Amino acid sequence: MDRLVRAVAAVVRGSARLLADDRRDWAHALLAETDEVATAPSARLAWLAGGLWLVAREIVVYRVVPVLAFVAGAVGLVWIGWPGASTNSATPANRMYVVGTLVLLAGLPVLVRRFAGPVRRGWAPSAARLGGYTVVLALVAAVDVKHRIGSQLGAYFPVVGGVWAMYVGFLLILAGHVAGLLILTSRRIRVSRGVLPAALGAAALIAAVLYLLAPYGIDAAIERATGDWGQATVPDYLLLGCFALAALAVPVAVHAVTIRLADNDGRPGVLAPARQAVLATTCAMAVAAMLVAVLTSLTIALRPGDVPRQPAGDGICHNCEPPTIVVPSNLRQEYQAESDVAHAGGSTLLALLVVPLVGAAIAAGRAGANGSRRPGGPFH
Amino acid sequence: MAPRARFSVQTLSVLAALEADPSAWLHGYAIAKQTGLASGTLYPILIRLADRRLIEARWEDEQPAGRPRRHLYRLTGEGLVAARTALSAAARRRRPATGRTAQGRLAAEGGA
Repeated sequence: MDRLVRAVAAVVRGSARLLADDRRDWAHALLAETDEVATAPSARLAWLAGGLWLVAREIVVYRVVPVLAFVAGAVGLVWIGWPGASTNSATPANRMYVVGTLVLLAGLPVLVRRFAGPVRRGWAPSAARLGGYTVVLALVAAVDVKHRIGSQLGAYFPVVGGVWAMYVGFLLILAGHVAGLLILTSRRIRVSRGVLPAALGAAALIAAVLYLLAPYGIDAAIERATGDWGQATVPDYLLLGCFALAALAVPVAVHAVTIRLADNDGRPGVLAPARQAVLATTCAMAVAAMLVAVLTSLTIALRPGDVPRQPAGDGICHNCEPPTIVVPSNLRQEYQAESDVAHAGGSTLLALLVVPLVGAAIAAGRAGANGSRRPGGPFH
Repeated sequence: MAPRARFSVQTLSVLAALEADPSAWLHGYAIAKQTGLASGTLYPILIRLADRRLIEARWEDEQPAGRPRRHLYRLTGEGLVAARTALSAAARRRRPATGRTAQGRLAAEGGA
């Protein structure tokens, strides 16, 4: 029986090596108590069985489930994003997106962990990471499908150097969002209770409203307002006004709520209110932009036939280099339809870069204005 | 700001054991003996409480003779507030039920 007790203890000790450092301590704590348990071997076995359960539970929850979820997401992205005809000019770019996205989703946690520590304990940070990864995978899959539909006449949609740079830029923007998500859910960042739920709630609400206002994006309205595509109408200006208002109102509201929550939190180790406000505002704007982008891209990918149509063009391939190549008349309708799908929702992807910066700038500006009235500066 | 969390009966028993002497560092087996919880129930509770910064944990400073160093636990300031709030709320929940039982018993005795 003693041999069995020693064997079970060795199994607990060995399997504890699979746990993160801080979790391993708990398994060792339980093992350290084994000698204190009543001398009856059955009591010691029962105590160690609890240790086995503890270790198995931790391994499944924090190792097996995240890895399986990531593998499932990766398989899904490859299945959706990888296929493509050799004549489709989007195929190489789509494959670059698939590989690039998976590399950054797998690699960034390792990099961020070195600077910001591991994921904060509790279900909410892990759920936020899972949700964030799901949204990023869905966005890349939708963009791949959209590109594939919009580049079937590959010869008229060449991927030139500038387009490649734009694609790489998109991946870098995604990397920024993922890094932000990882840092915000890491152990080194402590914000007051309610700050992140409030920011995420505001982001989800405003994203839902903006998506319902323009499920295929605001590109057509922008084109009309700038005179590139027919005459702008009052609804176009109203739509653009709503987006602009949201970009200004959300940071102001999230900033005010965060400052209020943070000012009432005197716990040690929590970030200064002004820092929390900048973080929460940037986070709200990034999440809102990401949700609008993913919803718009999914809508375009799933319903490409309903994308707003541009008036028939002049038959010139404006994507070609030089832009003087004439599209044969029998292909012009198809060319125009594909071009509309390829360009739809482009502004929502650009917003992924611009909108969080607007949020950060507004929050920093407000922090500076408030800080100049407080002793010790804005971030104290 | 005290957390507005609801705790399970098992977690309350752990909080009660730690709250009995908030300044004392207790080891896992001592808490298990006081609460009657099995190790597979107790340690996940301790982990959860530590994750929420309601308890702090440390290893014994000195290496004792003849046994390994133990992991020790006690409530943090925030944990003490949460424990007292949760335990008094649990006591309040129990009291009316006890009152009704006592009243019922008195009524039954009076009627007999």
